[in-house]
Amino acid sequence: MSAIHVTTKINGDVVDYVCEADETLLDVLRNRLGLTGAKEGCSTGDCGACSVTIDGRLTCSCLVLGAEADGREIGTIEGMAKGDELHPLQRKFLEHAALQCGICTPGILVAAKSLLEHNPKPTETEVRFGLAGNLCRCTGYDKIVRAVMDAAQEMRRA
Amino acid sequence: MAIIGPVQQKNMGPPHSRIDGRAKVTGAAPYASDFAVGRPAYAYFVTSSIARGRITGFDMAAAGQVPGLLDILTYETMRGAVKKPTFFAGGGYAGTTIRPLDGPEIFHDGQIVAVVLADSYESAREAAYKVKVTCQAEQPAATFGSAGATTEDAADAKGHEDPAVGDIAAGLAAASATVDADYATPTQHHNPIELFTTTCAWTGDKLTVYEPSQIVHGLKHGVAEQLGIPPDHVRIVSPFVGGAFGSKASVTPRTALAAIAARCLGRPVKLVLTREQGFSVATYRAETRHHLRLGADADGKFTALSHEAWEVTSRPDSYLVAGTDTTARLYACPNVFTKVHLVHVDRNTPGFMRSPPEVPYLFPLECAIDEVAEKLGLDPIELRRRNDTMKEPIGGLPYTSRSLMECFDQAAESFGWARRSAAPASMRDGDWLIGWGCASTCYPTALAPATARVILWKDGRVKVETAAHDLGTGAYTALAQVAAERLGVPVGQVTIALGDSDLPPSPVAGGSITTASVSSVIAKACDAIRAKLGVNDSALIDPGIRVAGFERLGVALVQEYAEFAPHGAKPEGIDKLYAGLSTLKGGAMLEDRIQYAFGAEFVEVRIHARTREIRVPRVHGAFAAGRIVNPKTAHSQLMGGLIWGVSSALHEATEMDLGTARYINDNFADYLVPVNADIEDVSVILVPERDTQVNPLGIKGLGELGNVGTNAAVANAVYHATGRRIRELPIRLEKLLA
Ligand code: FES
Ligand code: FES
Repeated sequence: MSAIHVTTKINGDVVDYVCEADETLLDVLRNRLGLTGAKEGCSTGDCGACSVTIDGRLTCSCLVLGAEADGREIGTIEGMAKGDELHPLQRKFLEHAALQCGICTPGILVAAKSLLEHNPKPTETEVRFGLAGNLCRCTGYDKIVRAVMDAAQEMRRA
Repeated sequence: MAIIGPVQQKNMGPPHSRIDGRAKVTGAAPYASDFAVGRPAYAYFVTSSIARGRITGFDMAAAGQVPGLLDILTYETMRGAVKKPTFFAGGGYAGTTIRPLDGPEIFHDGQIVAVVLADSYESAREAAYKVKVTCQAEQPAATFGSAGATTEDAADAKGHEDPAVGDIAAGLAAASATVDADYATPTQHHNPIELFTTTCAWTGDKLTVYEPSQIVHGLKHGVAEQLGIPPDHVRIVSPFVGGAFGSKASVTPRTALAAIAARCLGRPVKLVLTREQGFSVATYRAETRHHLRLGADADGKFTALSHEAWEVTSRPDSYLVAGTDTTARLYACPNVFTKVHLVHVDRNTPGFMRSPPEVPYLFPLECAIDEVAEKLGLDPIELRRRNDTMKEPIGGLPYTSRSLMECFDQAAESFGWARRSAAPASMRDGDWLIGWGCASTCYPTALAPATARVILWKDGRVKVETAAHDLGTGAYTALAQVAAERLGVPVGQVTIALGDSDLPPSPVAGGSITTASVSSVIAKACDAIRAKLGVNDSALIDPGIRVAGFERLGVALVQEYAEFAPHGAKPEGIDKLYAGLSTLKGGAMLEDRIQYAFGAEFVEVRIHARTREIRVPRVHGAFAAGRIVNPKTAHSQLMGGLIWGVSSALHEATEMDLGTARYINDNFADYLVPVNADIEDVSVILVPERDTQVNPLGIKGLGELGNVGTNAAVANAVYHATGRRIRELPIRLEKLLA
């Protein structure tokens, strides 16, 4: 199998890597680039733990090949805070206790950010359905929804 | 940071956000598979597609052509490499005694039959797909009633004592209302979102294992046992665990295989099981059957309780939960009979899953109470009140504290139970049939020996070291709060090191014992530090006192190591802990008293009159569990537990093909768990409670309290909505259509 050279932007930085043709973007992020914030929960597109954005679109990185990132812009959880300053969603997740074990949290935050970019004023039902592709086995979801609603409100005021 | 969370009531600490939260929301928290290790090789398992029989041959020709392939391990080269493991539920380490690569025998579907090693994950997987295994298959037994299943009394298999008292026949004869019914609960899999991963790296003859674990010292000793090497040569690293629920509490066969693979290759090995492989390489909640008879006199006093149950286990291992230890003692009743049987079939060995005994066993009892209440024309809460007791009926031992009815009162009030019309199918909203149901919940309060080291610096920084585990429970935060309060410093000045077998040992993060056991030992170490600084028992410690103490001692830091053994513990408990074994004491296992946490759960269901779609718009629970160290994380644990309960009642079941004894829905598309859109109003009430006996701090566990009563509360609500008693979980709409 021949290696493929990829040039992409990750969280605003130009990144070059070499990967195999059959390697998923999730594996490239985690194993080659040390960006382990995206998690693997199924590799079949069912859990959302591996969520990233590609050109602003929410994507399961387990279902995309690393080679497909060429010329695209990737957003991961590592790019969400600005230095020490947490994104309002991250802050609200902490305040509302919207995480427990935390393995689903990066994926849910990426998905929630994407949701609010497309719909800054979602109803509770829209949040619940918007995040229905992200499984969480610990929290019972309620606190996640509250945190997202609260963050959305704060972001609208800002 | 703003504090959003439950209000601090009597005997509760302040609500505190997770101290490890920032690491988790930024993606920085290192879970086991996030650790980078040199240039790893990747392992991928080939698993069995039959449940019983023998391997007759391998064809490696196609696999051997895959670029990057390094090696393939099978029983032909591995026989004897893994030493016989001791069984966790028998006082050892392993979740199963089945040794996959030790011979040609197949004991269950999905058994590991080959370990494929390659330079990349993709190559390993491709080669694994190309390994051809030929087998001689025999007809397997899948579950209860399958040909070839063998049944034995738990008393014979495990020396289990079936609790009993009085004369059951006389008790039933004296009853004016009785229920005599059969109930069933299904196989369920924990399915933490984190996959089962293992990374092994050798340095000389020393092995480091990165693996998510609920028992790092147990994993260390268990892996050493299987590899035949000294335990000191093994280190387990598992600072963050992506959910576990019991699935990471015992040693699976994968770890020793990955370690041997890494030794063969002279290179670290990374292994990430697929979601489906996790179903058969780790454990699961066994399906159970119950025959329950409950009788009450005209005043609603129970006269008889007979609870007979059957549990599935594997061929070689006698795994048993025997929740009759709890159901026999939950209410006042003069005549109690119980019996538990084990049914051996061709399956992987089951194991602990969140509230292992109580979830399957309280379901029939709490449903039967609802039925008896209706027969007597009593409110189900009132029936429970009439049989509430401060003394368990089997041995007459006193409960250390019991706030069951207080929980019912508070939850009923918040739920609006008084507005319920009692007759089934009498509350309707257009096309939707509305049902309200409730049930008791309880969980034994156990503790285990624990050790910890605490360091206090003159400037007020604190470090706590103990090999306990935070599975998402909030242990990092609660334990920091205990140390901070004891040493008079802000929580932000405390750092906690957990999840590493190089730290002083702590018990398994299971049985809801961590907060009580580990807080107790941390408090003890802190008290020793206070004594050194000249602070007596009750005095508060402030910065002035601290600095004066340090100046008097002329040192920069004070360090104390402590050991804690709970009430009823044997003297060798600490030695066992150092050998990786947790000896739980409490619940119904004590000679002089009984200790449980209690709660009450209320559920509203809405069932569509024509489609029978079942929705759960409201779940309210009230819980009392002694001192609550951190109401914020406790609230989360209980809320998550309630959703687990709803999930168990309505969604979750691992389906089997009965002919082949294979799991069918071993993936997240088909194994149903609730998603965001399934959950509506969930309300958790923390009921203040003081218990002066369970341990010096008065803490009971609560991680497994939330999901116990929910199955029955949902089933009772479904009955109230429809007049249909569903006694087999999960309750899916097809069961309401027939
Ligand atoms: S790992 Fe990609 S959706 Fe589950
Ligand atoms: S917090 Fe554990 S899976 Fe969501």
